[in-house]
Amino acid sequence: MVDFEAVGAKLYVLSYDEVDAVADYKKAHGATFTMLSDPDSEVIRSFGILNTTIAEDDHPWHGIPYPGVYVTDEEGIITQKFFENNFTVRPGPEQLVAAVQGEDVVLANRPTMDQEVGVEIEFEGNDLPVGITRQIVARFSVPEGMHLYQEPVPEGLVAASIELDGEAEGVVAYTLIAPETQPLTLGTDGYTLEVWEGNVVLRLPIAQNGRAMTKDDDGRWVSISGKVRWQACDYETCLVPDEKTFSFRVPAAFTVMADMGPGEGRVPSMNGATHFKKMMDRRKTGS
Amino acid sequence: MKIERDMRGAELGPNQYEDAEGYIAPLPSGHGPRSNPLGAFPTGPEVGDRLPDVVAVNSEGSTVDLHIDRAGKPVVLVFTRSAVW
Repeated sequence: MVDFEAVGAKLYVLSYDEVDAVADYKKAHGATFTMLSDPDSEVIRSFGILNTTIAEDDHPWHGIPYPGVYVTDEEGIITQKFFENNFTVRPGPEQLVAAVQGEDVVLANRPTMDQEVGVEIEFEGNDLPVGITRQIVARFSVPEGMHLYQEPVPEGLVAASIELDGEAEGVVAYTLIAPETQPLTLGTDGYTLEVWEGNVVLRLPIAQNGRAMTKDDDGRWVSISGKVRWQACDYETCLVPDEKTFSFRVPAAFTVMADMGPGEGRVPSMNGATHFKKMMDRRKTGS
Repeated sequence: MKIERDMRGAELGPNQYEDAEGYIAPLPSGHGPRSNPLGAFPTGPEVGDRLPDVVAVNSEGSTVDLHIDRAGKPVVLVFTRSAVW
């Protein structure tokens, strides 16, 4: 469990459920964060994020927000927010903790070999449940005087990238997250390229849509494979393009979402079906 | 602003529906629980704004004013669909 308190932050989760429903959820899951009940969607409306694709008579779904996350600083100023079109896709806790801590990723000093780019690739997190985004992180250490290129590059140069294998069906990759570049103007023709120097961290958010899982006696698994590509240059010459493949097999786990009944590997029941029936009854129009 | 539901998807089999990104569920795209907006949609206050006041009831039944309750700490505020479904 990622600890928000450890980074000095408070986590709040707000939904249009009633108090007894969130209380049961909190108990069933041993949740330590604050759950807020907004059954009339007043807070949701005040944020302007009521899901208006759902008609008022379309009970019981009416009242839900476009799901998303706000991160604030100590002053309560919003520093980042995360909203996706697809409701099943949301930031993972590691990403939220990183957001609380700001954009500066502090890297330990890593030894570099002379004139060689060091690359470490990791899958951030312990598992990949359906719909939670996690990141493939590539940490480059670029020797002094050299740089890596960001797309687009002219023919003959290779930009730094993280790519999933084409056959990795079921794993969805999103837009590469990269630090700010510096412009570098080459030669006399004034061609400007965008480059990174020093310690460079590229992050590829990925999620899985449920098709990627394999099952064995130890549980459900997802395999993620691909390669990191780059080419390092100084102001005169370039090293040959390089690449490093990666392959991670991680638990697919179970998504903590709807909890309508017992099932293999699921979390303890929180009487979801009872709450749902109550919600249906309360929201019946004209009753 | 009139927001359109994302109805893009395909039926795969009994109780198996795929949405445009390949996520599979027992309900078709555009059904209430899968009401993804198509294109731009409102995402509330912007980065740089003060988080609006949030006053709601917690699981113990007490009214919580988020900006008081956070006691000077940074906040992660998650708006989620439902804890029930």
